[in-house]
Amino acid sequence: MAVLEIKNLHAEVATEDGEKILRGVDLEVNSGEIHALMGPNGSGKSTTAKVIAGHPAYEVTEGEVLLHLDEDDFGADFEIPEDKRTWDLLDLEPNERAALGVFLGFQYPAEIEGVTMTNFLRTALNAKLEEREELFEDEDEAEDEEEDVGYDTSPMEGPVDEGEVGVAEFQQLLKEKMELLDMDEKFAQRYLNAGFSGGEKKQNEVLQAAILEPSIAVLDEIDSGLDIDRLQDVSKGINALRDEQGTGILQITHYQRILDYVEPDMVHIMLDGEVVMEGDASLAQELEAKGYDWVREEVYGTA
Amino acid sequence: MSTQLPANLSEETVRQISEDRDEPEWLLETRLDALSALEELELPDVIQTPGRRWTNLEQLDFEALVDPLNAADRTERVTAEGVEVLPLVEALDEYESIVRERFGSVVDFKTNYLTALSAALFTTGTFIYVPEDVNAEDVKIRAEMNSRSLFSHTLVVTEKSSSVTILERVSTGDAVEGERYFSNLVEIDAGENSYVQYGSLQNVDENTYAYTLKRADAGTYATVNWIEGNLGSRLTRSDVETELNGDASETKIVGAFFGHGDQHFDVNARVWHNAEHTTADLVTRGVLDDTARSVYEGVQHVGREAWDTNSYQRENTLMLSDESEADASPKLIINNHDTEASHAATVGQVDKEDMFYMTSRSIPDQVARNMLVEGFFVPVLEEIDVDEFREDLAELISSRLRA
Repeated sequence: MAVLEIKNLHAEVATEDGEKILRGVDLEVNSGEIHALMGPNGSGKSTTAKVIAGHPAYEVTEGEVLLHLDEDDFGADFEIPEDKRTWDLLDLEPNERAALGVFLGFQYPAEIEGVTMTNFLRTALNAKLEEREELFEDEDEAEDEEEDVGYDTSPMEGPVDEGEVGVAEFQQLLKEKMELLDMDEKFAQRYLNAGFSGGEKKQNEVLQAAILEPSIAVLDEIDSGLDIDRLQDVSKGINALRDEQGTGILQITHYQRILDYVEPDMVHIMLDGEVVMEGDASLAQELEAKGYDWVREEVYGTA
Repeated sequence: MSTQLPANLSEETVRQISEDRDEPEWLLETRLDALSALEELELPDVIQTPGRRWTNLEQLDFEALVDPLNAADRTERVTAEGVEVLPLVEALDEYESIVRERFGSVVDFKTNYLTALSAALFTTGTFIYVPEDVNAEDVKIRAEMNSRSLFSHTLVVTEKSSSVTILERVSTGDAVEGERYFSNLVEIDAGENSYVQYGSLQNVDENTYAYTLKRADAGTYATVNWIEGNLGSRLTRSDVETELNGDASETKIVGAFFGHGDQHFDVNARVWHNAEHTTADLVTRGVLDDTARSVYEGVQHVGREAWDTNSYQRENTLMLSDESEADASPKLIINNHDTEASHAATVGQVDKEDMFYMTSRSIPDQVARNMLVEGFFVPVLEEIDVDEFREDLAELISSRLRA
């Protein structure tokens, strides 16, 4: 079981006199659990997500983001040694965090022309496997090995170098995951998010999580801009991440609506850069009924 | 006139070149006429921004660069069924009347100093003749320059309702001490309802100054599509132009360049809408790394009689380093109101949010950047009809990224 542990996290915008946004966030998400992170606009939810993933626009001034892994978190064939089971994500590059099993689902996914979904996702999957090897290999081994960035890729056909997961194997995997999410096969050959509708982009985020099989997935407003049919598809996909891969979900949302389909084990409420209230699924319902002013009153006393 | 006639350039030199090739009198006269015009002609116009002249052609030392009597090249020509593909000199025997009529009919040798120099001194080049109703794919010209200087002239003539795709690849062979000069003039006379795609991939060594002017005259219902790929050279000045002289004629001018080190690209695309119902699409994409520089000018002229014109232009330059520099100047000149037109140019760096998105999916920085650059060129690659050209260009881009 993996645990994402955020301790007293402070962060500000990485410019001179950058605005302080996170003022001591404490949060813990276990794999196999679904957590909802709620809060009014500007309370720091999205910043928390970006800081976990390593967005360069924010500077962490205090606190830790730890990932605790179990020996078998990367499957039976990959034994994680005892001294490499806890990682401070803040010391790592975004791609290294991802390789350790932290996934960020974007509120506004990038549109990338000229790079097909298939090429992108297979490159990502192979990069994850390769980066893992590097992160866990002994220091001595690491010195021997030449710094080897990248594969020979061609934009039209994808990497020439097979990588660990070959083209045929990957296409089969992609097909299965797309069926699960009720996505049209034609997406595989389209350029990454280019010209996708809002709903298609969100579905695609969940698809990517399904391919990369993270230990912890942080989903930033995955439910915004979805019609009811698409919301159900996406919810089904999120539940499958948890049920079939044991992924822990930290779901950032404004609305109770998605929580009807993806029932949280725990709800956290943020206010002014801190988590101020926690509870079970009923907290989200209470919040929906009473609003954030109620939270404010509960936390700060009379408004 | 700032450019002097190099001392090693004389009437005798030109006569010698012509004599060695056993050329007809009219061609010698054309050469001599070009030679005598040199003193009057200016270098091509270059873009100027306040305090800066982007391309310093004046600094070229033609006396050192031009070695007219020792020109050497190895040119391989692959023909297709029904098409004549000949060295221009050989075409003078069999196709003299066509060559005489069309040679210099699209590119005026007195356009500037460099075109006149080329007409006076050219020693190589290709004649491509596509007879009526012939459809041909995959005509290939692979030219390798082996001397200090080389002047090439290519003439393409397509007759009514014919079609052809041509790939020209220009590179340097034997190494030469010091700087070199390569001049490449291409003219296309596209007959009624004919289709030409002319792809050019320039990858000469980085001691070479490259000048090219490619110009087409598109007749009624004719389509001329240019693909201009520039990767090599120390400095490139490239002008690719189409005159849409026939009603319902069309053109695309697609460009790609990738500069690194201290390379300099001066890339220009121009179209003249001179008839009715004509369409033009100008698309150029370039990438710059290290201290490379680029300057782009795109011009769409819509003539007074050009009713029902469609004309589009886009240019995007992507800079991979802080030290690279780019300037872009898209121009639209409309003299007929019955026109739908657009023009846009952007200069920017790799998008940080795109990078974060990709790295957050485990892809290392360098790999992510390379994928974005390769993806950036895809709209250009997709325009290429000749598979070999598309693969070569993709391969050159890929290996430059991983150098």
